[in-house]
Amino acid sequence: MASLVPCPHCGARPKEEFTVKGAAQVRPAPDTDKKSWVDYVYLRENPRGRYEEFWHHTSGCRRWLVVIRDTATHEIESSCDAAFAGQTDART
Amino acid sequence: MSDFRPTFRPALGAKTAITSAEVKLSALPEGAIVQVLAPPGEQDVASFLSGLGKGGVRTFSPGQWLIVGDEPMTQEDMKTLFETLEPRATGVDQSAGRARIRIDGKQAGRVLSKGTALDLSADAFPVGRSATTLIGHIAAHITRIDSDSFELIVLRGFAESLWDDLTRMSAEYR
Ligand SMILES: [Zn+2]
Repeated sequence: MASLVPCPHCGARPKEEFTVKGAAQVRPAPDTDKKSWVDYVYLRENPRGRYEEFWHHTSGCRRWLVVIRDTATHEIESSCDAAFAGQTDART
Repeated sequence: MSDFRPTFRPALGAKTAITSAEVKLSALPEGAIVQVLAPPGEQDVASFLSGLGKGGVRTFSPGQWLIVGDEPMTQEDMKTLFETLEPRATGVDQSAGRARIRIDGKQAGRVLSKGTALDLSADAFPVGRSATTLIGHIAAHITRIDSDSFELIVLRGFAESLWDDLTRMSAEYR
């Protein structure tokens, strides 16, 4: 497991400070069909390689982050604040 | 109305300060701790808070600060402060919710480094810098208040545990 996770607000921190929520997926529209909701709630790709996940910096800044990591090598490509996804650059 | 009355006592009242040449551990007075939350995009909040002169201002998290002081604030003072903060920010009284510990000395940084992965070197963590991190399993807020002095802010219920941990972590320097 990647032991240091870059937080855009706090810098590199040990993984023990974080809580992993799982795949960072886009929430479907409320009135979308049942199949999309079943997919969103229950089904995951579980890829070997690049994966986007929600990580919560629970014992730090308490912000939700989107962390992109490789599930095979555990290398972290980037991280950003979930509220400003794409706007904040990761600090390593 | 219930006859039950809570007994007020300092969170670290039963602890004896540690004083040695290399490391000192002491409980800071239970004064005022105010958490300040600002909406995204609000600019220059830290300097606005410092300008109020209500106590030391600590960075807590994006858009959040703590105002800390050694003197307790009366309910009236607190209310006035909250009104002054609006509409730029909102205040929450944390005075009874968190406790402050001070650790000084040449080895203070080394003691803390046993519990946190934070880089506490003077370059990476200069005087005035704050960070929320884990010390062992306890979430704590660390501020460098001088080159060899740190202020720790911890949830009140964890204050005794953190104190005991720090006592053990500093044992080799006493
Ligand atoms: Zn963080």
